[in-house]
Amino acid sequence: MSFIDDFLASWREYREPGYYDGFDYHWTMSVDLDRCTGCGACITACQAENNIPIVGEDAIARGREMQWIRIEKYWEGEFPDVKLRFIPMLCQHCDAAPCETVCPVSATYHNQDGLNAQVYNRCIGTRSCAVYCPYEVRYFNYNNHHWDAPLEQQLNPDVSVREKGVMEKCSFCIQRIRQAKDVAKDEGRRVQDGDVQPACVQTCPTEALVFGDQNDPDSRVSQTMNDERAYHVLEELNTAPSVVYLRKVETDAV
Amino acid sequence: MASIDRRDFLKLVGAGGVGTGAGFMLREAIKHPVENLVPYPVPPEDFSPGIATWYNTVCSMCSAGCGITVRTREGRAKKIEGNPSHPVSQGRLCARGQAGLQVLYNPDRVTTPLQQTGERGSGDWLPLTWTEGLSQISGRLGELRSSGQGGAVCLLSEGQRGHMHGLFEQFMANIGSDRLVYYDYDHPHPLLAAMNRLFGTSELPYFDLGNTDYLVSFGADYLGSWLSPVHHGLGFGRSRQGRDHHRGRFVQIEPRMTLSGAAADEWIAAIPGTEGIIALAMANRIVSQGGYQGDDADAWAAALEPYSADAVAEQTGVAAETIARVADTFAGTGPSLAIGGDGAGRHSNGVDALTAITALNYLAGNLGIEGGLIFNPEPVAGQGAAARHASYRSMLELAEDAREGRIQVLIVNQANPVFTMPAAAGIGEALARIPLIVSLSSFMDETTAMADLILPSHTYLEAWGDDFPEPGVGFRAGAISQPVVSPLYDTRDTGDTLLAVAAAVNPDGALTAATTEEYLREQWRAIFERDAPTEEGTAQAQEAIAAETVEAAAEVVAQAAPEDDAAADAPANAEAAVAQVAPAEGAVATNPDPAGWMPDAFDEFWNSLLRAGVWGENTRAEQGPVTVDASVIDAIGVDAPEFAGSSETYPFILQPYLSLNMHDGSGANLPWMQELPDPLTSVVYGSWLEINPETARELGLRDGDLVDVESPQGTISVPVLTFPAIMPNVVAMPVGQGHSEFGRYASGRGANPIEILAPQVEPETGSLAWNATRVRLNPTGRRANLVRTSGLSRDLGRGIIQTTATGEAEEHASTKLRSIPITVEPA
Ligand code: SF4
Ligand code: SF4
Ligand code: SF4
Repeated sequence: MSFIDDFLASWREYREPGYYDGFDYHWTMSVDLDRCTGCGACITACQAENNIPIVGEDAIARGREMQWIRIEKYWEGEFPDVKLRFIPMLCQHCDAAPCETVCPVSATYHNQDGLNAQVYNRCIGTRSCAVYCPYEVRYFNYNNHHWDAPLEQQLNPDVSVREKGVMEKCSFCIQRIRQAKDVAKDEGRRVQDGDVQPACVQTCPTEALVFGDQNDPDSRVSQTMNDERAYHVLEELNTAPSVVYLRKVETDAV
Repeated sequence: MASIDRRDFLKLVGAGGVGTGAGFMLREAIKHPVENLVPYPVPPEDFSPGIATWYNTVCSMCSAGCGITVRTREGRAKKIEGNPSHPVSQGRLCARGQAGLQVLYNPDRVTTPLQQTGERGSGDWLPLTWTEGLSQISGRLGELRSSGQGGAVCLLSEGQRGHMHGLFEQFMANIGSDRLVYYDYDHPHPLLAAMNRLFGTSELPYFDLGNTDYLVSFGADYLGSWLSPVHHGLGFGRSRQGRDHHRGRFVQIEPRMTLSGAAADEWIAAIPGTEGIIALAMANRIVSQGGYQGDDADAWAAALEPYSADAVAEQTGVAAETIARVADTFAGTGPSLAIGGDGAGRHSNGVDALTAITALNYLAGNLGIEGGLIFNPEPVAGQGAAARHASYRSMLELAEDAREGRIQVLIVNQANPVFTMPAAAGIGEALARIPLIVSLSSFMDETTAMADLILPSHTYLEAWGDDFPEPGVGFRAGAISQPVVSPLYDTRDTGDTLLAVAAAVNPDGALTAATTEEYLREQWRAIFERDAPTEEGTAQAQEAIAAETVEAAAEVVAQAAPEDDAAADAPANAEAAVAQVAPAEGAVATNPDPAGWMPDAFDEFWNSLLRAGVWGENTRAEQGPVTVDASVIDAIGVDAPEFAGSSETYPFILQPYLSLNMHDGSGANLPWMQELPDPLTSVVYGSWLEINPETARELGLRDGDLVDVESPQGTISVPVLTFPAIMPNVVAMPVGQGHSEFGRYASGRGANPIEILAPQVEPETGSLAWNATRVRLNPTGRRANLVRTSGLSRDLGRGIIQTTATGEAEEHASTKLRSIPITVEPA
């Protein structure tokens, strides 16, 4: 019985918001909806950085697209008083992630930097995590993908390619985080604000995306979290996301 | 690393401690160490497995000229990022710029010289060696030149700028021909003509979006495909939320919502071709309300008299109150900015319309000020390139010359007029009359497929070049393109091919460089030597270099430019200042004095240029008062747009637009761009026709129904897609798909709206009025495969995208981030 008690005790602790604040880093992204133009540069940047396969027309027709970050589009109103609003949607790296609790083999887990990580070679493809993710940001490899030669020469050697039967999703460019941590360690310091930028953040032309460490109160991302426009998508689900959105400002016509 | 914004960049330039007017360098500010002074192909000794190396070069996926930095590992290009030091991109990049890697590693590249052995267009290609290929073309050109027929040689290229333009010019001079023609579908002829008419300048101006408080865009999709989308994106973001609660507002006036329209605070639907008339009504309002007090106010009042808001409301489809309100805000907000782009300029009244729109900046006092329209200095190289840009009309003349046998040899370089000209132009059939067509393109596109001989060029990531961005950023800036990987295939630098041909045809010609790199070095040496600084400059720079610390350099910089703001900003800019001053030792060292303290100074300078990926110069023109000629004011006016086809037979106006992914079709062979959901419709891998939902309902059309779109010139079949933000009598379609050639990802996919455009031109520039064709829709009863990424298009009250109104922040403060404690009960 004591095993169960231990397990529940640590589980309780683990699910408590703020648990990750005790660790060195708590990686967080903020998305300013008042800046985002829906241009999609982040999508292609991510696809290039993370070896995301080109799935082809038929796969997309069957709802099997793979891009880890997508731009959701919502129309509001009718012509001529019509608005189109955009929101970049990616894994929210929830501190209380529903996807993690359902994986029978713990292929998806929370690492000590506040990242929701995916262990590809542990994943057995039950796809339960995708069902439980309220943000619909998990993508399943229904096929083995290939790159028409020599497109494979572009593949990023810092990121593994995934096989059929494996779930994948945004990793906050963990390879870049790891590299920044290595450099910082060699120099005997903490990773500083601005040392690491995921691919989407780096390319975004409007600077809508900001990435950093929530545990550092002076980081840019911490500041954006104090912005009065800050909110979490589907916050009523209590997933404690690590992605913060800043409300879009809509002015009356003047 | 902090990204520099334009203002800092300008201050940096203004504070230049290295002698007055001297060219300066910005060392790359990227965090990854760039250890390479020379590109990969030359010294492989810096090749360390597992260590990424970054090279700076220039994006050529559109004409904006963003500086980029390419990450390579083990000699392969892995990722492209914006170059943080480059004033255009400032570390950022658009989706197409990201996809440049798929140009380099595209499986459908032409990998070796080829000769067409069957009928033209038969696709029977025989691989050749370069020696064979070059001797074929040189032989023919030599014959023509020695028989005095050099003039029958035409070089048709995508637009060239900077010193590459000079190389092309000299090549043609060597052959003895004046037929150097640049052709880009979206070259901004109408805007250049409007700038010239109003202000007598031949440069595109700098639109300072980042500092403007109120932007009115007439059909310019500045965030999507117009002129310099990355730079505009930067400005947009900063104006919106980068200025401490001082938020700029954006208005978009156009018949169909573009990406910029969606981003705007206010989107105003206007009848196609009436954008200029709306601008005149705004001008009328400003002048008649006393918002303009210049000496020529009376002349303006007289010229604008017929264009009251009430008078134009019906014609333009915009309510008089709306026009008056926007005009009042425009005049009453400073700085404001009016821009007009492709949507407004591609009509029979395009130049008049863009003149009217640009004139709003004159009336509201937005010229030459921060946040307004800033004039660009003449670029340091590439003068005369603008005059080479062919309009639709001049392309027709070229076609006529081809038909009449006045062109014996056509050399095509990356231009694809067979795809980007309407069928009505008959360009394909005209080019087929030319006895010898040689293509220097990297891909088998529609025009290259007609060639007899292909001498394939490197892609831009393997090639040399340089670039002075247009539009510039208010001061002179440029960058060198360098190879970031060794060539993948048996291809050559375009410049090298031309140099080799020139040397064979005319060994005594002026073009003596053996390679493009050598040619560029010669040209940059001239810039370097011109910038030989004064002695004080040298002393200061040496002091700064010797100081070598941020603080010390800041002091030197502050002293060198004792203006208040530079001094005040010195500490903030210090780090950048070190970067600025240190590499300038090269520039300083070009002391013409034989006892110069660094004999190989130019090499230093050149290597610094490659390393930095950017060069800049303090050339902000002193902006005196601008006056508009009285005759121009008198003549101001915009006629009603003319359309091909009668409104009875052809009830819809077709708006083909450049899509963000495909651009003019050159993006269609990149799988990432095919797979990137269209920003407004989420469609992938195909073409579609946007139609107002109400209209579609009346016609009984649903998403995915295949219709024949018929214009007076032809018919294409495409699926309809209801689009909530388009006028009822307008249909729109993205350009870019519908290739018959161009590789596995592009060919046989979708339809090309350019094909059915009527040959309607804007009379002054002769540019194609591509928004001026009427069409009718004939349902086919068939369905088509319209693939979109999944998801609902309405929020349905889920509150996924939340909004707030300015000034209401407190109300929302209570809904700030909160975390709800979770308790897990033990079982
Ligand atoms: S790159 Fe930036 S502006 Fe463009 S869609 Fe992504 S988040 Fe939005
Ligand atoms: S967003 Fe979805 S995939 Fe990401 S951590 Fe949350 S539940 Fe898991
Ligand atoms: S805007 Fe043009 S030049 Fe800049 S990154 Fe995009 S394609 Fe390249």
